[in-house]
Amino acid sequence: MRSSTALGWAAAFLAPALISSLDALSNRPSYQLAGFLYLLAVSLAAYLGGFAAGLVATVLATLGLDYFFTPPRHDFIPANGDQAAGVGLFFVVAILISQLFERRRQVQQQAEAATARANRLQAVTARLAEAVTPQQVLDAIVTQGVEAAEARAGAIGLLTADGETIEIVAQRGHEQNIFVGWESFPLASETPMGKAIREDTPFFFSTSAERNASFQTMAGVDGPSHALAILPLVVEGRAIGAIAFTFPTEIEFDAERRALKATLAQQAAQAIDRVRLYEAERALRQRMTFLADASELLGSSLDYETTLAQLARLAVPEMATWCSVDMIGPDGSIQRLAVAHEDPERAAWAERLGEEYPPDPAQAMGVPNVIRTMTAEFVPEITDDLLVEAAQGDERLLEIVRELGLRSAITVPLIARGRALGALSLIRDDTSPRYTELDLDLAAELARRAASAVDNAGLYREAERRGDASRALAHVDDGVVLLDEHGAVVSINPAAARILAVNEAAVVGETALGSIGGWSEIEDNSRPEQGGTRGPVTLPLVLSDGSERWVSVSGVDFGDGTVYALRDVTEERLLERTRSDFVATASHELRTPLAAVLGAVKTLRRDDVSFDRDQRDTLMDMIDREAERLSGIVGQILLTGQLDAGRLPLEHERFDPVALTKSVVDSAELHLPSGIELRVQAADDVPAVAGDENQLRQVISNLVDNAIKYSPQGGDVELRLHRNGQFARIEVADSGLGIPLDEHHRIFEKFYRLDPALTRGVNGTGLGLYISKELVERMNGRISVDSEPGRGSTFVVEVPLAV
Amino acid sequence: MSAIPETYESPLRVLVADDEQPIRLLCQVNLAVAGIEVLQAADGEEALALARSEAPDLVLLDLMMPNVDGWTVAEELAADGGTRDIPIVFLTARATTNDSRRAEKLGALGYVLKPFDPVRLAPLVAGVVSRCSRGEADELRRERPPELWPADLEG
Repeated sequence: MRSSTALGWAAAFLAPALISSLDALSNRPSYQLAGFLYLLAVSLAAYLGGFAAGLVATVLATLGLDYFFTPPRHDFIPANGDQAAGVGLFFVVAILISQLFERRRQVQQQAEAATARANRLQAVTARLAEAVTPQQVLDAIVTQGVEAAEARAGAIGLLTADGETIEIVAQRGHEQNIFVGWESFPLASETPMGKAIREDTPFFFSTSAERNASFQTMAGVDGPSHALAILPLVVEGRAIGAIAFTFPTEIEFDAERRALKATLAQQAAQAIDRVRLYEAERALRQRMTFLADASELLGSSLDYETTLAQLARLAVPEMATWCSVDMIGPDGSIQRLAVAHEDPERAAWAERLGEEYPPDPAQAMGVPNVIRTMTAEFVPEITDDLLVEAAQGDERLLEIVRELGLRSAITVPLIARGRALGALSLIRDDTSPRYTELDLDLAAELARRAASAVDNAGLYREAERRGDASRALAHVDDGVVLLDEHGAVVSINPAAARILAVNEAAVVGETALGSIGGWSEIEDNSRPEQGGTRGPVTLPLVLSDGSERWVSVSGVDFGDGTVYALRDVTEERLLERTRSDFVATASHELRTPLAAVLGAVKTLRRDDVSFDRDQRDTLMDMIDREAERLSGIVGQILLTGQLDAGRLPLEHERFDPVALTKSVVDSAELHLPSGIELRVQAADDVPAVAGDENQLRQVISNLVDNAIKYSPQGGDVELRLHRNGQFARIEVADSGLGIPLDEHHRIFEKFYRLDPALTRGVNGTGLGLYISKELVERMNGRISVDSEPGRGSTFVVEVPLAV
Repeated sequence: MSAIPETYESPLRVLVADDEQPIRLLCQVNLAVAGIEVLQAADGEEALALARSEAPDLVLLDLMMPNVDGWTVAEELAADGGTRDIPIVFLTARATTNDSRRAEKLGALGYVLKPFDPVRLAPLVAGVVSRCSRGEADELRRERPPELWPADLEG
């Protein structure tokens, strides 16, 4: 364009001069031809040089035409009016031609400018499309974009996550210091960007005066700023920030310019949004990868000190500029386990610094506070005030931490099974973005996994340490329960789990009080003093499954916890009780016949009375009968002893069960109480059986005695015999008191006696049925009962047939 | 014979409550020798009925009896205004100290443990009745009521 203008100016001077020089020719052109040639010259000048060049050419051409070719020649004064009019007409036509060409030239220039703008916009779009980081987007907009907007400088401000603050994320073309103090400012502030975002409206100011009139706060912003355009960056109907263009001159913002700026702003907004989404997705992927790597690392070794140091290194530099792990030592102090920084020298330096400034457990913030409160600390923005507070008046420390350029920090507790083990700290300096809530979540998850790994490692070590003892304890019959100092079950051996009716896996790690039924009784009665021992005491416990058990418990406190030794003494207790019951019963059973025998003898030996024969016989019979009874009871007791000791030899002989039954009935008939009738009903084909005839006589005799004894109102006692497969079946049926169904299995137990209320005071040793059952079973036979209270009982004895 | 105080105009009447027939018989024979009339009950129910209807001078009461046991008989007699003052001497094979203590609480005026010497039964009964008739029942209880133990058989 510039070269063509110069050519135009050249044409404006040279072309008229050239034509004027034709005057020197002998065959010089006519007035008309010269005029035509001059017009061509003007056209050329105007075409190339625009209106100004055309005007100059017009004046020169008019003068030339008048002087050289209009008679009188070589004189400016035309010869007549016609000639003057001709020159004037020429001038007018030349002017018109100049103007004509000027307009055409302007149209062309505008088209070229539009094309150039379109090209620049195209370039911005292309750059934006390539951008994958926020910085690249901003670069594209503030370099190419500023150019496309014909602006001198540009800036982009974005809303922060909380939506309250505008942060200038990129700027270009401004004087270096224009944004000092304006790196970020509240959305609510009276600033062009603030207002544009709040109201979702673009602002165009043709002059800085106009801008300052609207925004007094901007009046102080100096520099050669002129026109200003501020446009909101809108994504999905929501303003996420604003873009500002500053122009080198005062500009009238026509519709086209405004549309162009709006297009730029729209494209910038979309690009920023796309990159943000991409960033978020990338960050998420990075977090997942990081967590996966961390988990793998944590699971790789039981040496948690090494593992945690590796973990800290893994977190750097993506997750943090600095990463440190602090653990609570055995003495309760906080020990720095690892510090990681990209530069190992820096890490070493930080470690030394950590030693120089050990954490104060009472500190109101930072690692000690996080461990104490078991709550994460999240400082998205580390302010200088915060540093001053943290330095606690130590100037040197303050200087160091200021120099570090710390920007954002997260400290999360390592918690396992409700106890803080330590803390994980992540810090970013001002080369990295601030932490967000997402990062806090990630850190918390990381801490959870790390704590669990540390805890597992600890448990494993503990388990290994106790391994041998545990293996031994698994095989002892005594229960052993180990509680930690908080009353939680550390270990419980199989015997203890069995005694306390709990599942080992369900109680380990839980408090004994909360997870073991009856433990409060144990606590109350056998919990030892600090460092002492207590017990053993025998306690009745109501267990988790509702059962009751007698348990002998002793406790030993060893400082870090308590060991309880348990022994189930329920069986012993029951046996002891049954035994003492038996002694009471047996003594009563023996005393009564003994009283009769001794009483009768004493009476007979009275020397102050002489009894008649009948009285003497009655007393003698009494002695006889009661002595028999006494002997029977003693026999039962002895027999029981023999059965228990397994020392009762049984005959294996062939005999007729029917004859045996009849002989039992015959002897029972001898002293049958009144109201009782004995009957035998035997089938014809009952074969001989094999067994001990004498002992079976005992059994049947005992069943018949019982049938009579438990029929206090009298009634029939029937003995039935028939063959049942390979057995001879002997039934003893009465119509007496009967036995409740739930007692059926118990009546065959040793010493067991029915509730006196049910037996109406019928006496007995509680041994008869036990002995019967033992004897029958030792003959490979069976015994059972079918009975109902109030409807009598039928006892069934089956003895194998002889082969 | 000498055991019976001369001052008694009518013979003593004693109720023997025991489910064991031989024991009743022994008591009957030996008390009758001393001129004491004996009423017999084979269970607690019968004992209560006879005590109420016959108002005996003393009850010799077994503890383990069908239907109603001796403890209950003693409680019911003590609760009944008509029988409250009848002296009770327990006659039992139950040898634990718990039992004798319980008997004491029930106001027993004697405790005879089986096996016992039936010859010494009449003097014991006569002594208890005579003291009670003099209104010394409570005193007797405080002093420790007479007992017949198996060891006494030696005597």
